[in-house]
Amino acid sequence: MSAPARTAAGERVTLEQLAWVSACLGLTLLARIARLPVWVTATVVAVAALRLVLAARGRDAPPRAIRFIIAVPAIVLLFVQFRTFNGLTPGSALLSLIAGLKLLETRTRRDIYVIVMIIYFLSLATLLAGESFWLLSYLVAVCWLTTSTLLRLTSSAPGGNWRSSIRYAGRLLAQALPVAVAFWLFFPRFGGPLWQMPDSGGGATTGLSDSMSPGDIDELAMSDEVAFRVRFSGSTPPAQERYWRGPVLHDFDGHSWRRTDSGPVLAPTLLFQGPAYQYTVSLEPSPHNWLFVLDWPSHWNAPRAYLTSDYMLVEPNAVAQPIDVVATSYGHVSAALPLKPAMRHRDTRLPPDRNPRSLRLAQELRNAHPDDMAYVNAVLDMFRREPFFYTLTPPRLAEDSVDGFLFDTRRGFCGHYASAFAAMMRAVGIPARVVTGYQGGTYNRFADYWIVRQSDAHAWDEVWIDGHGWLRVDPTAAIAPERVERGLNDLVAAGAPFTSRWQQRTPWLTDTRLRLDALRLLWRERILQFDSSSQDKLLDWLHIPEPDGRKLALVLAVCLIAGMSWLTWQVRRELKPSPADPVHRAYDRLCRRLGSIGIPRMPHEGAEAYAARVSRLRPDLAAPVTALCREYSRLCYGAPASSAASGFPAAVRKFRPRGSRGSS
Amino acid sequence: MSDSGPVNRVRQAAITRIGLWSARRHGRDALPLTVDRRRIYIIPTRFGLALALLLVAMLIAGLNYNSNLGLAFGFLLASLALVAMHHCHRNLLGLSVDATTGVDAFAGGYASFEFLLRNDAGIERCDIEIRCGPLATATHSVGAKSCEHATVEVPVDRRGVTRLERFELRTRYPFGWFRAWTYVQSPLVAFVAPQPRGDRALPSEAGAAGTAAHAEVRGDEDFSGLRAYEAGVPLKHMAWKVLARGGEPAVRSYTGLAAQPEWLDWSSLGRLAPEARLSQLCRWVLDSEAAQRNFGLRIPGTEITPSRGAAHRRACLRALAAYPAEAPR
Repeated sequence: MSAPARTAAGERVTLEQLAWVSACLGLTLLARIARLPVWVTATVVAVAALRLVLAARGRDAPPRAIRFIIAVPAIVLLFVQFRTFNGLTPGSALLSLIAGLKLLETRTRRDIYVIVMIIYFLSLATLLAGESFWLLSYLVAVCWLTTSTLLRLTSSAPGGNWRSSIRYAGRLLAQALPVAVAFWLFFPRFGGPLWQMPDSGGGATTGLSDSMSPGDIDELAMSDEVAFRVRFSGSTPPAQERYWRGPVLHDFDGHSWRRTDSGPVLAPTLLFQGPAYQYTVSLEPSPHNWLFVLDWPSHWNAPRAYLTSDYMLVEPNAVAQPIDVVATSYGHVSAALPLKPAMRHRDTRLPPDRNPRSLRLAQELRNAHPDDMAYVNAVLDMFRREPFFYTLTPPRLAEDSVDGFLFDTRRGFCGHYASAFAAMMRAVGIPARVVTGYQGGTYNRFADYWIVRQSDAHAWDEVWIDGHGWLRVDPTAAIAPERVERGLNDLVAAGAPFTSRWQQRTPWLTDTRLRLDALRLLWRERILQFDSSSQDKLLDWLHIPEPDGRKLALVLAVCLIAGMSWLTWQVRRELKPSPADPVHRAYDRLCRRLGSIGIPRMPHEGAEAYAARVSRLRPDLAAPVTALCREYSRLCYGAPASSAASGFPAAVRKFRPRGSRGSS
Repeated sequence: MSDSGPVNRVRQAAITRIGLWSARRHGRDALPLTVDRRRIYIIPTRFGLALALLLVAMLIAGLNYNSNLGLAFGFLLASLALVAMHHCHRNLLGLSVDATTGVDAFAGGYASFEFLLRNDAGIERCDIEIRCGPLATATHSVGAKSCEHATVEVPVDRRGVTRLERFELRTRYPFGWFRAWTYVQSPLVAFVAPQPRGDRALPSEAGAAGTAAHAEVRGDEDFSGLRAYEAGVPLKHMAWKVLARGGEPAVRSYTGLAAQPEWLDWSSLGRLAPEARLSQLCRWVLDSEAAQRNFGLRIPGTEITPSRGAAHRRACLRALAAYPAEAPR
């Protein structure tokens, strides 16, 4: 079917088409700009600008040699940077580069088609890693623009202006929406990934890590980012029990605390006491594999998650997707078994030559308080009694961080206190470890759940008391008890640079933020986490018994058939001339009736000529038809005033010709 | 541009099949024709097939990453393709087409077929391509409730009666993902006259110096009566008053075309080859008509009595076009 003559002027791209497709590509790249190497973006922009300048001067694409000189080093450089083209980030960087190079060599519509496909796929790649409503809206808008660009690639002179193209594309998108929703709702989902992609991780990079230096948590306190959200199904634990357990740190080098991976050693059995709390934690994706649960977890519904020997709940792999964990925790526990020697050894180690002043102080206190519990209280008492300050902006500490904090600066955030306290315990042989996590949270009264932000990050200690087990001790509570009771945001010390501080003073803004967050949770629960069990619930709601994959496919098929029928109707409806004028409608009816007795109006025939022909063929109808047609002509072409209050439609309705030509 | 690749071969084969099937199915169509939905065929373009592949890739990626937003985007695009299919089909649906089915041309030139596209719908129909064979196409947009004239120039190389069994209306609007088309099984005939060539003088001029040739011009004024209208009569000869009184169209005829008619005779060109004779006759026809002279044409099997005017000229040229190519008589 194709022939050499086809690459005629009509196929050649114009400057306008080039400009629009470049703009669409640019807008698509904008959405992923954070994940693209800067030089890739720069290359694409430069190349697009070059092509546009050439087109504006009426010149064609640059010769192949120049394109080659740009393309080969760029692709080699990309490979050198990533060492692979597999995976989301390198793959889409490569695609972006190809789109830019394609733009450079664009001559015909076909090249633009290729770029449009790349734009579509880049949008998808961006959405695979993203999860916000705004991102989806933005990319759908870009898709709208891109599709409008396709409408401009017409051979004949484009009908109407850009605005009308955008409107038409918008109408098509609107018509596509119902079918798309049906697809989305009923297309069967699978549980997990079909195969693991190299870099499916990602997500938030702020958050707790598996080490803690003094000052780490202060930085988190500035972040308003949501760490997770919690919904309690029964009673809510009081503030002083809302400790969300994260990484437990054992290794102290004199300055920082680090986590050693204890491996899949089973957690020693605990005896649970006190009230049980049941809740759902909605975790955000993170590069780490731990799940935040309330101290102390007893049951959870994540099938592959397990408790480590220090009672951290961890997944085998990083939490790449936002997940929900339903768990049960108890506020109080006691150990069923004595501490194993290996663990006792691990949690009493100190670097011998570091923090000498603190070690001496510990010995002095220990001499005064030989009992473990008494010693713990004595250290807490020291924090309370002596001039220690709780501040978000503590001075920096040198290598021996505990010495520096206890004797010199005496100003610290939770991390400083937890670190110093654990060191003091270990110095006298009491097993102690630092637990990091979150404490408190903000209650969202609009949707009955708790928001735990990065600014709620906290660090506390656990000490082993023989005969009792692991005991949570929060030295921060000693120095600033209200921190634990009310949460950090309520406790803003004057002068602390809190981003959210001014928001405290404007309650309506806080409310708006809470409402927005409630919407975000809804988006997450209803849209992002829509899965096969949600589909089962949906079928259940539709009163379809025993939902399974086959029934889902059936419902999808029914919806698609209905959708397609609706589309057919909707699309063809626009063909019909608008039933604007009753006079024209009546005239059409007259013609139809005459047509049904064998005298259809010829397309070229005017009303008078038609009436004359009808009169000739059917003299018996001559009078009424001539009168009606003359009336129609008068209404259409006469003075405007005369068309008012006409009985023409009624007269036509009464006119019912009978019989065919022969029988009269 | 290459048409290789298995998918494309299958696609091309399908298009060929549909063409044959359509010919059997519809028989001869009467013009003007309104395109109904039973005669519209639709198939994805190569771009559309590529999009389908892309959509499958998007689906797999969305499922693999468990990304509901990715799936939503992919499904939206897939639905958009379905909608585009409907719109592409609709772009032809209800369009009326008329054509001049017989046109005249000279060998080596173009046969210009005239088409009229009529759009009664309240929407614009963009990018309607009329195809008379792969080389002869014209693309037009037809506005809402309006008509559009189109001319398709079919290159004709050889003298004779060229017949196109059908023509095609095609569209790839809106997005170029689908191609909808319809065949109109209505023959288009081009009477391709020979190229006017040859340097022999007209028979009359070959004898005398053509003294009579100029005397006849005034004869136009001598009105002799009315005769029935036939296509091709010069407008200035129309009897407009008769028409205005409501009568049948009539033409004034004249006497006094003084000169004796010129006979353009095949047999007078003794030794020339048949095609060369036809070319020479064609030259003479054009020259005689240009000189406003009465002439007749005599070729084996056909004799056209002397007359003049556009209709006469056309009759002569068509006779020359229709002369059998290989075996005379």
